Amino acid sequence: MNALAILDHSFGETYAKRLGVAPWSGALPGPKVEEWRFTPLRALAKVPFVPAPVDAAIGSIPGNVPTIPGAARLVLVNGAYRKDLSDANLGKGVEISQGKVPAKEGSSLVALNAAYAPASLAVHVSGAAKKIIHIISIGAAASTPAALHPRITVTAENGSAITLVESHVGLPGQAYFSNPVTSITVGEGASVRRYVSVDETNEAFHLATTLVKVSGGGHFEAFHLGLGGALTRQEIRIALTGENAEVRLNGAYALSGHSHHDFTTVMDHQVPHCSSSQVFKGVAGGESRGVYQGRIHVARDAQKTDARQLHKALFLSRGPQIDCKPELEIYADDVQCAHGATTGEIDPNHMFYLAARGIDPDTARRLLIEGFLAESMDDISELAVREQFGAALTAWLARYGTAQP
Amino acid sequence: MSLLEVKNLHASVAGKEILKGITLTLEPGSVHAIMGPNGTGKSTLSNVIAGREGYEVTKGEVLLDGKDVLAMEADERARAGIFLAFQYPVEIPGVTTSAFLKTALNAKRRAAGQPEIDAMEFLKLVKAKTAVLGMPYDMIKRALNVGFSGGEKKRAEVLQMTMLEPRVAILDETDSGLDIDALKVVSEGVNSLRSPDRAFLVITHYQRLLDYIVPDYVHVLANGRVVASGGKELALQLEAEGYAKYLNTAA
Ligand SMILES: Nc1ncnc2c1ncn2[C@@H]1O[C@H](COP(=O)(O)OP(=O)(O)OP(=O)(O)O)[C@@H](O)[C@H]1O
Ligand SMILES: [Mg+2]
Repeated sequence: MNALAILDHSFGETYAKRLGVAPWSGALPGPKVEEWRFTPLRALAKVPFVPAPVDAAIGSIPGNVPTIPGAARLVLVNGAYRKDLSDANLGKGVEISQGKVPAKEGSSLVALNAAYAPASLAVHVSGAAKKIIHIISIGAAASTPAALHPRITVTAENGSAITLVESHVGLPGQAYFSNPVTSITVGEGASVRRYVSVDETNEAFHLATTLVKVSGGGHFEAFHLGLGGALTRQEIRIALTGENAEVRLNGAYALSGHSHHDFTTVMDHQVPHCSSSQVFKGVAGGESRGVYQGRIHVARDAQKTDARQLHKALFLSRGPQIDCKPELEIYADDVQCAHGATTGEIDPNHMFYLAARGIDPDTARRLLIEGFLAESMDDISELAVREQFGAALTAWLARYGTAQP
Repeated sequence: MSLLEVKNLHASVAGKEILKGITLTLEPGSVHAIMGPNGTGKSTLSNVIAGREGYEVTKGEVLLDGKDVLAMEADERARAGIFLAFQYPVEIPGVTTSAFLKTALNAKRRAAGQPEIDAMEFLKLVKAKTAVLGMPYDMIKRALNVGFSGGEKKRAEVLQMTMLEPRVAILDETDSGLDIDALKVVSEGVNSLRSPDRAFLVITHYQRLLDYIVPDYVHVLANGRVVASGGKELALQLEAEGYAKYLNTAA
């Protein structure tokens, strides 16, 4: 197939014109690109985004940012690091700097980010970091829809350890397109925990790419929460490049109205004796659409790989659509790989059991939904994050209801 | 006034009549046992009283303190004091036993105009109740009934009952799955709740349970009808003779 036919260039052209720079030669993935089949970008391509101003005035940090006690706060507004809003008291083991955006080609979205990101926020971890680093990315469009391209680079040296929280929010009521790219290198024997919450405005587009490389004996634990946004995609590509690397990648999403959320993961087992597990759970109401695409690739000599993947979705109404696509590409013969997927509604037998104990239907549904999502959240090893993300989900349920038309 | 009255109750499932005119009157303080062959409608009766969906009541009524139970939703019935210990308690992943117990207890307290229980008081209460039932306290941290053994599930049902202190408790084969010692412990748990203003409906296949929870009345349910009623000696007689003669009369 002609590569041009499957890409949509109109976005790049319009966007570059607005920027007043030479036309960006890139393109957004079109509907015929297999990886984007469930998440069409037609609606996005139609919006004439302007580049978001990097010096936008911010009154205060939006209220839906989780509070992580004792964490250092690094604030990005429209992708630009804002010292004036940050508390960069980092403690031992961590340094930050603003670096050049790596020009390396990646997917079209990574290339788009590379073309327009103001700078890369580089987090360098040399030892066991004392403090949690909380990076807050705020989308602040003015009266016209704007695009932002935050870029974060994390390098954890051999034997180091760090916990990162990444919150993606926007100023209330604003329409914007956030295209963040985070790349993470986990050194040998290093341990990185990263907790991401995407709670953009109802009008926002959020297409995030995470690129992770885990070296030998390294640990990478991640949790991704998807709560808001008109259209959100969290694409997470992880390569296990050294033996005895371990990855735990979990996530949860909650959808209402017409929102669309896509988790796309690629777990690339390149060497023997590594393990990865994934548990993704979602609740969907209204006319929303949820997507989970999980690819596990096990190279020919990646023997003794243990790779697991699970996706479960719960319908809160009759309207939503869930697409789940597991892909196992296994070229080694001595491996353990498993994947599972279920979708369903709240079990009436569960409802009756709770009713028979005097619990009203709304409370019962809330308890069951929270219980359903807990299976993915219980593995968050940082207590403060587990509590904050749990509270965010509870607030979401209180706001949108447990039974949605 | 009687505590619970079941009057000429007829109920069908999927168009098939299961309960064919059941009348039972539970006075406060009384313990009634129901025995009867498999598939005769004992669990159906409990479910209809507790308010499970899927049953059509075609005739008759159920009154609690003279109030129409059938007009209430299942959760209202529970808050009004009806408790069903399930024959097959369901497993609910992700919901901890403790969160569930607390929510249920607070639902009841709110309905009674009482404040919610505070965390310390709750833990103290659970500790005391689990100890009485010989349950490890840590069990309440586990997901509700998930991976509980058959006997543990039954104990957990009785734990819920002792915490919620219902007015009318229906125990649907709570003895099945319990070992000999557990049967004793659980029976003691039930007996500790016996009081002049509470009534029990104990469904069982085994006379042995009734040695521990001594009933005032024993009823035989066959083919959707109460075909015989008597004192506790009726259970002994059933144990010796079986249900043959009741099946004949019911047919
Ligand atoms: N949902 C249903 N659809 C069809 N038949 C049903 C349904 N629920 C119950 N029944 C039937 O109703 C009858 C009574 O069932 P019930 O569970 O009340 O019996 P039981 O007396 O409790 O039996 P056991 O002693 O085995 O527990 C059975 O024949 C059963 O198959
Ligand atoms: Mg039964």
